[in-house]
Amino acid sequence: MSTKTPSEDDILRPMHTFTKKYVLLFAIAALALGAFLVGWMYQLQQGMAVTGLSDWGSGGGVTWGLYIGAFIWWVGIAHGGIILSAAVRLLGMDRYMPVARLAEMLTLAGLSAAGFYILVHMGRPDRMVTSVIGHYHITVNNSPLVWDVTVITAYFVLTATYLGLTLRYDIARLRDDLPSFSPNVGGKQLPDLLAPVYDVLTLGYTKAEDKVIDRMVWWVALAIIIMAPLLLHGGVIPWLFAVLPNYPSWFGGIQGPQFLTIALTSAISGVILLSYAFRRAYDWDHIITDDIFRGLLLWLGFFCLLFLWLQLQQLATGSFHSTTTHSYATASKLSHPMYVGPMLMVLGVLVYIFAQTIRPSLFSKGRAIAAGLLVLTATLVEKTYFVLSGFWYPSFNIYDGSPGEYFPSVIELLSIAGTIGMVTLFFLVLSKLVPVVELHAVEHLRGDHGHGHEHDHEPVEESAEQPEVEA
Amino acid sequence: MSTEDESFHPLGQEWENELETMLDDTEYDSDLGMQMAEDAMRVTKGELSEADFHEKYHDDVMEEFGVDDRPTEEAYEEAQKNAGGFAEMLKSVDSDGEESRRGMMKKMGAGAAFVGLGAFGASEGGSESEPNVAAAQEGDDTEQDVQWGMAIDLERCDGCLSCVEACAEENNLDRGVNWMYVLDYEDNGVDTSRNRLVRPCQHCTDAPCEKVCPTTARHTRDNDGLVLTDYDVCIGCRYCQVACPYGVNYFQWDEPDITTEDIEAQAQEEMGDHDHDSDVPHDHMSDERGRWVDSRAPRGVMSKCTMCPTRQDGGMGEDAVGTTACEDACPPDAIQFGNMFDDNSDPQTYADNPARGRALSDIDMSVPSADALEDDLDGADDDLESVLEASEDLDEETLRIMKAIEIVSEDFGEGDASHTEYEQNIVDAFDALEAHGLDLDSEEVLVGLDLADEPDEDEEFDGPDESAAQTVLVNEAGEPDSNFQLLEDMGTNPNIIYLGNEPGPQAEQVEGPVAYEDVEADLADGSSVPLADNRKDVLDEMTVGDAGVSL
Ligand code: SF4
Ligand code: SF4
Repeated sequence: MSTKTPSEDDILRPMHTFTKKYVLLFAIAALALGAFLVGWMYQLQQGMAVTGLSDWGSGGGVTWGLYIGAFIWWVGIAHGGIILSAAVRLLGMDRYMPVARLAEMLTLAGLSAAGFYILVHMGRPDRMVTSVIGHYHITVNNSPLVWDVTVITAYFVLTATYLGLTLRYDIARLRDDLPSFSPNVGGKQLPDLLAPVYDVLTLGYTKAEDKVIDRMVWWVALAIIIMAPLLLHGGVIPWLFAVLPNYPSWFGGIQGPQFLTIALTSAISGVILLSYAFRRAYDWDHIITDDIFRGLLLWLGFFCLLFLWLQLQQLATGSFHSTTTHSYATASKLSHPMYVGPMLMVLGVLVYIFAQTIRPSLFSKGRAIAAGLLVLTATLVEKTYFVLSGFWYPSFNIYDGSPGEYFPSVIELLSIAGTIGMVTLFFLVLSKLVPVVELHAVEHLRGDHGHGHEHDHEPVEESAEQPEVEA
Repeated sequence: MSTEDESFHPLGQEWENELETMLDDTEYDSDLGMQMAEDAMRVTKGELSEADFHEKYHDDVMEEFGVDDRPTEEAYEEAQKNAGGFAEMLKSVDSDGEESRRGMMKKMGAGAAFVGLGAFGASEGGSESEPNVAAAQEGDDTEQDVQWGMAIDLERCDGCLSCVEACAEENNLDRGVNWMYVLDYEDNGVDTSRNRLVRPCQHCTDAPCEKVCPTTARHTRDNDGLVLTDYDVCIGCRYCQVACPYGVNYFQWDEPDITTEDIEAQAQEEMGDHDHDSDVPHDHMSDERGRWVDSRAPRGVMSKCTMCPTRQDGGMGEDAVGTTACEDACPPDAIQFGNMFDDNSDPQTYADNPARGRALSDIDMSVPSADALEDDLDGADDDLESVLEASEDLDEETLRIMKAIEIVSEDFGEGDASHTEYEQNIVDAFDALEAHGLDLDSEEVLVGLDLADEPDEDEEFDGPDESAAQTVLVNEAGEPDSNFQLLEDMGTNPNIIYLGNEPGPQAEQVEGPVAYEDVEADLADGSSVPLADNRKDVLDEMTVGDAGVSL
């Protein structure tokens, strides 16, 4: 409860417990990932024909499908996560400090999933290094796909650095309480295998660097915020589509902002789900407070609004007096369940969020979770539809085989479960190694507790909400 | 070339320096080499006779190389023997451009430079070699003399799918991989037999597919502008298929039906006899640069119409250069393949005057051979009427068209484009007629054929009337309403010119006269498989968990 004082023990708890639920979740996640890996192996062995894809045009199908839709989705979650955490650090939104690291970790996990999708989607992933790196100096000048790979790699490195820097502070202070792992192999006692990891992470750490690191983190955060619209989901990723004039439903400058709103809505939703899971698992009600959920929900509402607003812009320009092929694309949007469904879902979430700001009693964590799930589903479906609709309604739409047929194969569908499993595993493992909530946050909460007026009403609501959550 | 440049070589000082460096790198005598190179230039200019050149250097060369039988000696002797002389050889490589000149130098070794081969490339002087010289001076090694492309006469296409079949056979394509695709369409509800589109890759000069490729696998060949896919480099991301506005790319979703062994065996069998450029491997897969760009793609990479690089590289013999399998197969000659940079090429002449092109192709079967004419005319009078009467195959209409074609043509019967063969047949027939005594340019004949106006009393006969000739051809063969490039507004600069109706944005494909499934392609493994229109139908068999539903 929030009457409890957050302590170091709280954030160390994931490392000091080992429950059946953990094992169960681990098993499920591993199974999901494993099942997809088997599917992928089969795909590698047989070729991409095991998917539901075909050539667009006379080929009667779509070139890209769920793999690319899910790719955009994961990159969106990842990029949104890093923007969220950067905003917290840059603008001093201390309220969200307890979830900032979760957002950063989500970025790493999301980027890994997205990177994995790039490989999964390729006909010859084995050539990734020779063909792409080998010609990088030429292709980087004009291939949006190369920009994508560059940006994903760059952000992976940047986020890892960022995370690494902030982890030093925690690890240096909590070192004695961090887990050790010295297995007994064949009667021989090995030394602690984790110690070197922590040692490397805190290499050369002195208290004097804290201030410097703080500044550095601030600057990196600034860089991320500035580059977000240009290089992340507001730029390079949408350019994969937006620069191609032959697809009316893709082409145009609006995709940048549109993708950015999708990134932010899905990342906030992701963080809501993650925070809830950790809070529930480790009794962190007093760390990841209801207040955080309310705040996150409000932000989610704001970005949902932007998301719908930009969709509206496209519907208006696409139907008022558009070119023939563009009007086909718009007509499809207005009637296709994969477009209409997500729009209604996001609209529903928006309405709920606004309603609960007016009537706070409408808030519950269960509903917050539902909102998050709805938004994540909506963005995945909408992004997949977005990819498909390009091929369905191209400028050159003469072919009988267009709009092409597509239904994701079992392997493609498994990839969603597989990557979610992969991200879950990532958190399950990472949470056993390092604190997923910063020490800073705990210190901050302790120092702040009872001062901020925002927190004043907390205990009352907390107790009012509790039963609902448990139910 | 700058006036200060005192180089003996038209390619300038730079080229000479390069030559000298090359020579310095060998253990041969550089001074002797440079001297020879200079004299070789004089040979090509005719200032020095070949015999003199030979005499002057033979001993030196033998002394320098002869002792230990270095390849240079062979190169030298070879040059003497094969190319009908040194100057001839220099001339013969002249037109090949900077790239191949360097390639040849490399091949023959530095020793070749030594014997003065550095001279070639400018042997003839005159206008033809000037572009080379200019290019060399700018240091631009992407010079391009040839841009392969097509003119496709959509009104002549009868939708028989012969080209689609020929392409599948030539390249051993899987079912539904229709690099060449022919479709009928309905535009705004109007469906006439003229609404037909023949759709190979457009080999765009500004190809978006190439631009987006993350690996450079999709690339344009420098020397002839073909847009190709390097099957060894492609990672199968399919972005090229996405970026191409025409939908001409076909991904190899699974293991191809025909193995590379079968393709190679077939190539050996079919290409083996041709005396072909030794540069081009005999496998119908690698091009002259040694990159795997031809025939069907291996699994997991992208493919599309290639415009037959093996043919263009001379791998199927000289006759096949400047042709494609689809062009050869098209019964009504609707496809004209050739060099778009050359005004006299098949596609350019055809697009320039489609009525002429059509008439030329139509009439070919009716043009009597010179021998037949000679036999028929034996003993007949030499006036127009008697000639037409005596000749069995030649009627007035045919002769009028033949003559009309000649009147509207420039450089009739000259050049190496395919249509000149047709022209040549007419020239031969004309020669036979002239030999018999019929003056085809006379007032009697031209006026008799309605190809010239009869002059008034006081006027002189002013020769054939071009517009009358053109009218004859248009009446005979018809003329397309328009010519266009597909999706011109996409800025791709396609290298295909279409003659006929352009499909509008509302055009929708309808069934054509011949169904894809009714046409069979004979492939390299000896099988005969029906074509497939829709690739997805073929691929669905392999989809895991295909429920037969679509989103
Ligand atoms: S038509 Fe143009 S853009 Fe399309 S594949 Fe061919 S060269 Fe590339
Ligand atoms: S599929 Fe191959 S050729 Fe096409 S863009 Fe990707 S790497 Fe390039």
